[in-house]
Amino acid sequence: MLLAAILLVPVCTSLLVLAAPARRWSAEITILAMAVVLALALFAVQATLARGSLSAASGWLACDGLGALILGLVAFVAFTAAIYSRGYLHRRHPPQHRIEAAGSYYPLFNIFVASMLAVPLMANVALLWVALELTTLFSAFLVGFENTPEALEAAWKYAILTTLGAIIALLGVLILYWGTRVLGQEAFTWNELIAEAPAMPPSLVWPAFLLILIGFGTKVGLVPMHTWLPDAHSQAPSPICALLSGVETSTALYVILRLYSVLSRLPGSEAGPWFVVFGVLSVGVATILMVQVRDYKRMFAFSTVEHMGIILLAVGIGGADARFAAAYQITAHALAKSFCFFAAGLLVLALGEQRIASIQGLTRRAPVAALPFVAGALAITGMPPSAVFVSELLILKAGLARGQYLVVGFLALFIVLGFAAIMRHATRMTFGAGSGSRWTAGAPRTCLAALAITAVPLVIFGISMPPELAGLLRLAGAAMGR
Amino acid sequence: MLLHLGYNLLQAAVVIGFAPLIEGILARLKEIVQSKRGPSIFQPYRDLGKLLRKDEIVSRQSSWIFRAAPYVAFTTPVFVTLLIPVLTRYPLFFAFMGDMLGAGFVLALGGFFVSLAAVDTGNPYGPMGASRTRMVGFLTEPVFLIVFMTISLVAGSTIPYIVQDEWVRSPAAFFAPWHVLLVIAFFLLILAEDGRLPVDSATGHFELAMIEKSKSLEYSGRGAALMKWAGAMKLFVLMVVFLNVLVTPWGLAGPTDTSLAGVLLAVPLVLLKMLAFVLVLVVIESSLAKLRLFRISEFTGAAFVIAVVAMISRLFAA
Amino acid sequence: MHALSTSSLLSIEALAGGVFLLTALGTVAARQLLTCFNLFVLQSFLLSASAALLGLALSSPHLLAVAAITLATKTVLIPWLLRKTVHGEVYRIREIDQVLNIPTSLLLALGLVGLAYFSVDFFGGVAVPAYSLVNLPIGVAVLLLGAFTLTVRREAVAQLLALLVAENGVFFAGITIVPNLPAIAELAAAVDIPVYTLVVGLLTRRIYSEMGTTMVGRLTALREE
Repeated sequence: MLLAAILLVPVCTSLLVLAAPARRWSAEITILAMAVVLALALFAVQATLARGSLSAASGWLACDGLGALILGLVAFVAFTAAIYSRGYLHRRHPPQHRIEAAGSYYPLFNIFVASMLAVPLMANVALLWVALELTTLFSAFLVGFENTPEALEAAWKYAILTTLGAIIALLGVLILYWGTRVLGQEAFTWNELIAEAPAMPPSLVWPAFLLILIGFGTKVGLVPMHTWLPDAHSQAPSPICALLSGVETSTALYVILRLYSVLSRLPGSEAGPWFVVFGVLSVGVATILMVQVRDYKRMFAFSTVEHMGIILLAVGIGGADARFAAAYQITAHALAKSFCFFAAGLLVLALGEQRIASIQGLTRRAPVAALPFVAGALAITGMPPSAVFVSELLILKAGLARGQYLVVGFLALFIVLGFAAIMRHATRMTFGAGSGSRWTAGAPRTCLAALAITAVPLVIFGISMPPELAGLLRLAGAAMGR
Repeated sequence: MLLHLGYNLLQAAVVIGFAPLIEGILARLKEIVQSKRGPSIFQPYRDLGKLLRKDEIVSRQSSWIFRAAPYVAFTTPVFVTLLIPVLTRYPLFFAFMGDMLGAGFVLALGGFFVSLAAVDTGNPYGPMGASRTRMVGFLTEPVFLIVFMTISLVAGSTIPYIVQDEWVRSPAAFFAPWHVLLVIAFFLLILAEDGRLPVDSATGHFELAMIEKSKSLEYSGRGAALMKWAGAMKLFVLMVVFLNVLVTPWGLAGPTDTSLAGVLLAVPLVLLKMLAFVLVLVVIESSLAKLRLFRISEFTGAAFVIAVVAMISRLFAA
Repeated sequence: MHALSTSSLLSIEALAGGVFLLTALGTVAARQLLTCFNLFVLQSFLLSASAALLGLALSSPHLLAVAAITLATKTVLIPWLLRKTVHGEVYRIREIDQVLNIPTSLLLALGLVGLAYFSVDFFGGVAVPAYSLVNLPIGVAVLLLGAFTLTVRREAVAQLLALLVAENGVFFAGITIVPNLPAIAELAAAVDIPVYTLVVGLLTRRIYSEMGTTMVGRLTALREE
C-alpha cells in the first residue's frame, strides 16, 4: 500500500497540474506533493530497515536495502528540486510566459519523478526495463525545455542514444528471462533471479550481463557510451540537471548493481574485473575531459561520469566494506551533485552565461551565487566535511584492504586530478577583478532554501554517521553482493 | 537414352520457339500498363520474319568476328537449354555435361563475341555499350559465383537438376531464410545481366544512354534477326533457371512419368510461370527509373550483400 | 483446421525471417526517406506475422497477443504518429544525408550480419530449438544493423526509424527465446514504443520549427574542443 502510494502521488499530481485551474499553483502543489512523497519514502525506508524488505501489490512491487536507498535519494532530490524549480522558473521566464511555462514544466516534472521512483520498486525485471525507459521519455522534453538549438540538440542525443542503449539492454533482459525459462521458471523477479542464479546456464547469463552493462551503461554515462551525458546535463534547466545527474544516473546504475549480485552467485565467474575496467576508464576519461572543459555545468556533468565510475569501481573491488562504501558514495554523490547544480543554476540566473572563460570576479559581481558555487565545487571534489570525502576515503581503504593497489593508485590519482581541474576553473571564475555589472536582483528565496536543505545532510553525513544511515547502507551493500 | 535425347531437342525447340512470344507479351503488357493498346504479342515473330527476308549489309572494315557473332550469340542459349531443366524434373541426356557455372560460361561466351563484334565495326556507340556491358559484368560475376556457391552449400551440387530436386524434396530448405535471399539476389542479377530497368532501359532509343542495345546497332537483315532472337532466348533461359530451379521448382514432368504427354503438359505450365514472372517484370519496368551509370555498382552491391548474407546464414546454421 | 502442420508453419516463419533481414538491409541501403518508412512498416508486419506463425505452431496465446499488439502499434499507430507529428516536407527527402556512402555502409552491414551469426555461438551450451536458431541470429543482426544505420544517418526521422528497426530486431529474437513473457510486460512495452515515437516525433517537429532543418547529424554546437 505504502509503495503503491509513493508512485500514485506524483502521477496524480502530474494529472492535477495538467488541469487548467491548477496551473497557477502548480509550483506549490508540486512542492507539497514531493514533500508527501519524501515522507512516504522515508516511511518505506524505515519499514525496510525494520523488516529487511518490503513487498506490495501481490509481489509486483518490492523494496529491499538497495531499492530503499535509491528510493529515498530520488524522493529527497525531487523534493529539493521542486522547491528550487519555483524560484528558478519564475526568474527564467518573463511574466507573460510564466503560467504557460509552468503548465508544461510541472506535469513532466512530476511524471518524471514518478518514473524514477518506479525503478527501485519494480520487482519484475521486464517492468523495470519499462520504468527505466519511461524515465528517458518523460525527461526528454525537460532536457529540451529551454528550446534553444543547443538544448534541442542535447535532448535529441539524449533521447536517441539512451534509448538505443535501452534496446540493447532489452535483448539482455530477454536472454536473462530465457535463462530462467531453461530452468522451467515462469516468474521473473530479482529475488528469484538471485535464488536461481547458481543453476542458470552461464552461457546465457554472461551475454545478458554484457548487453545490459553496455545498454544501461549508456544511461549511466559510462565511458565510452557517455557522449550524450555532458550535453544533456548541461543544457537542461538546473533543477532538472540536479535530478538527472544526482539520481537518474543512479537509477540506471541500480540495475547494473542488481545484476552484479546475480553474477556473483554464478559459480566460477567473477564480474568484478568488468566493473573495475569500466570504472577506471570512466573515472580517467572524465577527469581528463574536466581539465579542458569550457562550460561550468558541463564540468559538473563530467564529474557525474567520474563518480559513476568510482561507484562501479568500488563494487568491482568486492567485499562487504567496498560495497558499503559504494552505497555511501551513491548517497554522497546524489546530495553533493544536486547541490552543485543548484549552485550552478544561481550562476545561470545571475549571469545568463555558462562559459567559464567569460566569467571572472564572481565574489564581487554575485557573492550570493559565488559562495554556494565554491562550496559545491569543494563538496563534490571530496573536501571535508562533505560526505563525498568520507565515502571516497572508505573506497580507497576498502581497496587497500583487498590488496588492489594499482586500482587504488589510479583512483587516488584521478581524484586528485579531478580536484585540481574543478578548483582551477572555480577559482578563475570566483576571484580576480571582475568586469561586468553586479547581480542586483538577488537569489530567489526558494533556491536558497533548496540549497540549505541539501547542505544539511551533506554535511551531517560527512561529520557523523547516523545509525539509520549506517543500517541502510549495510543493507544496500548486502543487496549488491549476496 | 534416345528418348532423353529427343526430349533435350524438344526443350531446345521450346526455347527457340517461345522466346519471342515472351518478349511480345512483355512489350504488350508494358504498353497496357501505360494505358496504350500496344502491338500484338506475336509482333516479335513478324519482326524476325521481316528481318530474315531482308538483305544484310556488312561493313567492309569489319572482320569475321562481326559476321560470326550473331551465330555464336544465337547458339549459346540453345546449348544452355541442354543443361537445365526446362520441362522435366529428371536429368536428360546432356544434364551432367555442365553445372550452373558452366551454363554461365556458355552464356558469357555469347556475350563476349557480341562485345567483340560491337568494337569491330568502328561505330562509336558499339564500343561504349561493350565497355559498359563489361562493367556490369564485372560487378555481377562475383555475385553469381557467391550465389552458386551458396546453392552448392545447400544442395551439395551445382547441377541444376540436383539443386531443383533439393528444393522440391525438402520444404524446410525451400522456406529457409537463405533461400529467399538467394532468390532475391538472383533476381537482381537477372535484371542487371539482361539489361532491364533499373540498370538499363531495354526500350530506350537514346544511343548515348544505351548499354545492351547499342552493341547490335550495326546489324541488319539476318544478323539483326539472330541478335534479336538471341536476346529473347537469353532472357528466356535466365527465367527458366530462376523459375524452374530456384523459385517454383514444380509443374515439370515428374520423375516417375516419362511419357511424352507429361513433357508436353509441362510446356503450358512453364509458360504460365513465365507469365507471372513477366508481370513482376512489367511492374518493375513501369515503376522504376533508370539508375545513373555509376549507381549501378550500388545496385549490384546490394545483390552482392544479399547473396553474402544468404551464404553467411547458410554457413552458420548448422 | 489443422491442415497446416507445425513444421510447415515453422518453415513459413523462417521465410518471414529471411525477408525480415532483407528489409533491415534495405533500410541501410535506401536513399529515400519514404522508402525507409515503408520498409519499417513492412518489417513490422513481418514481425507480427512471424509471431503469429510461431504462436500457432507452438499454440502459445502469448505470442498471438504479441502479434496482435505489434500489428496494432507498429504497422498502424506508429506510422500514423510519425505522419502526424513530423512535417510532411521531411518525407519528400530524396537523398538522406549520410556519414558514409551507401556501398561502404552496405559492406560494413555485411560484417555486422556475419558478427551476429557468429555471436549466436555464445549460447552454445544451451539446448536451442531449431526455430530459435533461425530467429535469434536474424534478430541480433537486425539490432546491429539498426544501431549501425542510426549512427550513419544524419536525418532525424531516418535515425528514429533505424532505432525502431533495431527494436524490431530485439523483439524478433525475443519471440522465440521467451514465448511466455508476462502479459503486463508485453502491454507495457507495447505502450512504451508508441509513446517514445510520439516524444521523439514531437522533438523532431520542434527542431524543425526552431532550426528549419531535421539534419540532427549536422548539429555540433555541443562537443569537446
